[in-house]
Amino acid sequence: MQQRKVIVIDPDKCTGCHSCEMACSIKHFAKCSPLLSRIQIQEFRDVNTFIPITCVACEDAPCIKVCPMGARIRLESGAVVTNEDVCLGCRACIYTCPFGAPVIDPENGKAMSCDLCNDDLLGPWCVKACTMQGALQFVDIEKCSKTVGRGFAYTLKEEYAPQAVQKEAEASFSFG
Amino acid sequence: MDGWMGQRLRIDLTDGKVEIEKLSPDYLKKWVGGRGFNSELVYHETWQGMDPLDPKAPLCFACGPLSGTFAPLSGRTTITARSPMTASYLGNEIHGHGDSNMGGHFSAAMKYAGYDQIVIKGKASKPVYIWIDDDKVEIRDASRLWGLKIKEATKSILEELGDPDIRVSTIGPAGENLVRFASITNSYSSSGGRTGMGCVMGSKNLKAIAIRGSKAITFADPEGFTKQAWQLREKIHNSPSAKKRRLEGSLDLFDAGNAIGINAYKNCSTGYMPGIEEIYGGVQWAEQFLLRRKGCWSCPVSCGRYTYIKEGKWAGFNCGGPEMESLCNLGPRIASEDVAGVNVLCGVVNDLGMDSISAGAALSWTMECFEKGYLTEKDTGGIPFKWGDIETSLKVADMIARREGFGDILAEGNIRAAEKLGIGQDIVPHCRGLEHISVDPRVALGFSLGYAMSTRGSDHLKNYSCLEFAGCAMSRKEQVAEALGPELEKEFWKDFPKQMTELKTKPALCTWSERNKCVADLVGCCCQAIGSWGGAGTWNDAYAPLFRLATGVDMSDEELFKAAERVVAIERAHWNREGSARQDDTHIDRYFEEPVTGGPHKGLKIDRNEWAWAQSEYYRLHNWDKDGFITPEKAKDLGIAEITPDIEAGKKIYKEWLEKAKK
Repeated sequence: MQQRKVIVIDPDKCTGCHSCEMACSIKHFAKCSPLLSRIQIQEFRDVNTFIPITCVACEDAPCIKVCPMGARIRLESGAVVTNEDVCLGCRACIYTCPFGAPVIDPENGKAMSCDLCNDDLLGPWCVKACTMQGALQFVDIEKCSKTVGRGFAYTLKEEYAPQAVQKEAEASFSFG
Repeated sequence: MDGWMGQRLRIDLTDGKVEIEKLSPDYLKKWVGGRGFNSELVYHETWQGMDPLDPKAPLCFACGPLSGTFAPLSGRTTITARSPMTASYLGNEIHGHGDSNMGGHFSAAMKYAGYDQIVIKGKASKPVYIWIDDDKVEIRDASRLWGLKIKEATKSILEELGDPDIRVSTIGPAGENLVRFASITNSYSSSGGRTGMGCVMGSKNLKAIAIRGSKAITFADPEGFTKQAWQLREKIHNSPSAKKRRLEGSLDLFDAGNAIGINAYKNCSTGYMPGIEEIYGGVQWAEQFLLRRKGCWSCPVSCGRYTYIKEGKWAGFNCGGPEMESLCNLGPRIASEDVAGVNVLCGVVNDLGMDSISAGAALSWTMECFEKGYLTEKDTGGIPFKWGDIETSLKVADMIARREGFGDILAEGNIRAAEKLGIGQDIVPHCRGLEHISVDPRVALGFSLGYAMSTRGSDHLKNYSCLEFAGCAMSRKEQVAEALGPELEKEFWKDFPKQMTELKTKPALCTWSERNKCVADLVGCCCQAIGSWGGAGTWNDAYAPLFRLATGVDMSDEELFKAAERVVAIERAHWNREGSARQDDTHIDRYFEEPVTGGPHKGLKIDRNEWAWAQSEYYRLHNWDKDGFITPEKAKDLGIAEITPDIEAGKKIYKEWLEKAKK
């Protein structure tokens, strides 16, 4: 496995402010529109739930396999992007992606996806724009599980702690 | 065009005519955006004495040059019309300028669809909603939506149009039934509440506006703009008050507000509720009820809340909000300590499409009338009102929205209900017919002067003089210096922290604050960031550079500040031409005669002589005449000389009234 960093998403912290989309759009196009963003917030606003969808750069990426032109390529950073010189705009990568993550560039009809901001000093701009909410984080790939799991563990912490103490008490009782 | 989209969309509902008007560079520079476009248009396309519910009256939605961009906090929409809620000493049939500012995502969608402003006139023959998809504008049947509450209506429209990313601004049953303080709500729960804009929308038989756009916003200097936006984001990120606001929402103001004795309690009769911090404090609230934070467009702070009640009588209830003013006006103002119940009330009032401040005012006023014996169950159709009764409040809120029974009277707003019933006019806390928010006007005198001078009736969000509060002043000393100048600054700190209860520095503070706040409204950004928590600095370091880099317009700080003054002046002119001036720039007698009954400022009331001085000083700083009318010289200086004949006519009304009053 290649050593690299990935974006970790925690939808529970997303507030639906679309700052990430604005950051992505202005970084790559010097313009602002959610349609120009490679990260997309899927809204379920009636229940105040927001799911950020972006390319997660799968280890065994189906889009690379399915592209008839071999236009989906992996960069050194691990990001999977489109070689626009050969892309047909057939959208096969979107259909095959389990997340529907690639986005059609409205200016040329070709597929685009997260390039992790090409080693920009700020890191991925969407992550930076989400610093206050922390719904997006940029972590080493081997820390990914630890980061996601920690969020879940945190919610369990309160409930789990008293039980642990009790179990200990029972054990010592039976020994005595 | 950079920053702006340069287009105004005009829709006439009577004949279904749709027109797109190009906005000239001179116009854009003169009125900047948002509140500026709206106030200008509403002034020029209405006339003295016009009924706000007249089909010819315009209802305007506008966004600013920064709306829908990467600039942080850029999610605000201004809605403006002549207000059915406002009144004057000349009579309750007198109306003036009204506007409301909402967060959410509507302004961004307007920009992407290609419009800086949407102007609606006329009246549809049956309920309709407007569907705007870029250049395509369609007026669609809304019969099946009529009667639906905000959440149901929004959901239903999104289902019909088949795209969850469409932004919908809609009214609830309250707007349909012409409740005078009905609101307009976008993104399910972001409301533009004050001054009854929903009532105007309802009078046009317009249920909602749905909008989607595929255009992109361009910038004159994208690189500079991006850099500046990052800088501002970093500043907000590093601000302790922004962090507090993120964690606690605007409810962080409860603790501070009660400590200095300004939070409304029992129909604003006093500014202190014992133990309020433990009951309503932001931290406790979040622990009990916060499901998730909710952010307006491009806002890294996301002070919006989403409530979920886990246990007790209201278990399972969920809604967007509440915001501090909703919670305070539907909680302490009606003397309730049942936070879960108040949360439900906030959710219900919002969903019915009513302003939570005016709804709280209507309930608390009736409760005080019961306490004082002005009203009994006989007058209300058998409904007993007593302090803190959530069950009754919930029932009455629904009756107000549907104009049933006693609710029909309360739906007229406090001041008109009091007139109709012939009682309790002395205990309606209002200026120009709009009820006060939750800050006691006898204690925080900057806010107090702001209420009276506000161009939309009593409200803090016009003269947003937060610097008078000790915490704000301490953390932003350089802003105090900028606002007051060297001499008054000395005065300010000499009496600190007692300066809050003194009028000396307030005319100057209000004058500066109202322009500081107005700049945020013009560019389409949030005023809270330069006001109550102040993490972004002031208008000139936060928004002015972003504005210039986005639009490429060469406007100095002074010119932008002058544009803000111009916008305030045109709103004031709207009142002046009705004959409304000095007589309306004041409070009810209660606040001059009855002292505060508890808390750290027990015994305080406003001194009439000092108040008269503060009025005159405020006029002097604006170069208005001694009665508060805009002078022809000032109008000319601001480039709005066309208002002078209207104001002369207004003066005549004023003088006639004065002579009659003398007799």
